[in-house]
Amino acid sequence: MVKKKKSSKEIVTETEPLAIEEATPETKLRENLEEIKTYEGVIGYILRNSTSAAIDLKDPTKIIDYAILSSSALEASEELSELFNLGETHNIVVEGKDIKVLSLTVDENRISIFADKDVDFGKILKKLH
Amino acid sequence: MTEDVYAFALKTTLNEIQNVCPDITNTFMFKENGEIIAGDEDTPEKTMVRVVDSFDGILEKAEAIGGIEGITLEASKGRVYVSKVNDTYLVTVTSKKADIQYVNTVTRVLVPTVLKLLEKISPTPLKNTLQLPEAKLEEPEPIEETEELTEELTTEKLEEETVEPEIQPETPMNQLIVENLGGLLVPSDTVRIDREILSQWEELYEGKKIGEVEIETFDGKMTQCKVKPIKSSKYEGKGIIQMPEKIQSALEIKKGELVRVKPIIY
Repeated sequence: MVKKKKSSKEIVTETEPLAIEEATPETKLRENLEEIKTYEGVIGYILRNSTSAAIDLKDPTKIIDYAILSSSALEASEELSELFNLGETHNIVVEGKDIKVLSLTVDENRISIFADKDVDFGKILKKLH
Repeated sequence: MTEDVYAFALKTTLNEIQNVCPDITNTFMFKENGEIIAGDEDTPEKTMVRVVDSFDGILEKAEAIGGIEGITLEASKGRVYVSKVNDTYLVTVTSKKADIQYVNTVTRVLVPTVLKLLEKISPTPLKNTLQLPEAKLEEPEPIEETEELTEELTTEKLEEETVEPEIQPETPMNQLIVENLGGLLVPSDTVRIDREILSQWEELYEGKKIGEVEIETFDGKMTQCKVKPIKSSKYEGKGIIQMPEKIQSALEIKKGELVRVKPIIY
């Protein structure tokens, strides 16, 4: 009797955490970003939150520049929104001659997507929200 | 065409844009080095400086994406557009209900046309770093204005009648952003500005060495002090004036604020 009880408890404790992990919004977000990365013209992404950061870019030599650009864009968006009383910031797009960057905050996660100029960010935004 | 008229033309254009598109709440223009060229009458100078400051990080790393062509910010109550026109940036703030296509048509057609026109008429102001004493246009003194106008008219008449032997250069004035200057061996009576600005002033005054400048805040406070070129390359070409704390407190200003600086010629 005692042995049977122990084995059933063990099963329960093993399955519970797995179920929680699957439902984490961050995991879902990462999955979405991985899918976005496969879209034509998308160069990569940067995902940051209070506990972790993930950078996935095709050209690793530009990681630092892109990371600074990403955080500068998000900081600027918050500053501008405050200065002109524009309310909650949705996203900021920085267009360069070769590449454009979409930066936004989803929950506590700060995201930047780097893509070629002709990429439509509308589809990406839908995927992220 | 004087720089005053040049700034006035741009300012009028920006105000007209707002009249045509009432959903545009703020517009102003700044150069790549951060100097503000002109702004509409609803946007305070301090706000423009803070906006330009907030773009610093983006502009510094712009090379990574091939240089900035435009920035679009979407927020719950409105949008901000930054578009590059020649070597200047046009900032447009709109309400949420603004018709983007209409705003773009107006700003992307009108502003480049006026800039082109101004450059054809007077190419100098856009190509050098001489700045516009904008606030002088904003703060007219009604009684003196009529006197000045009659004076100007008389002078103009005199100029038409008599041939001036030599044209004196107009005192250049630059708008610069205040940056702290500290350290043990830093003299408290000396500010530092771009070597390029000093060279331009010296060139304008036929090689006369510029050793002192007059600094004026937008609140009208003024002081004179010694000037030297900026030592640190970090601050070069950014439209910055490094200023010791003593001068900052005398002028009641602090880091990030905008001041007008002009050379003193003896």
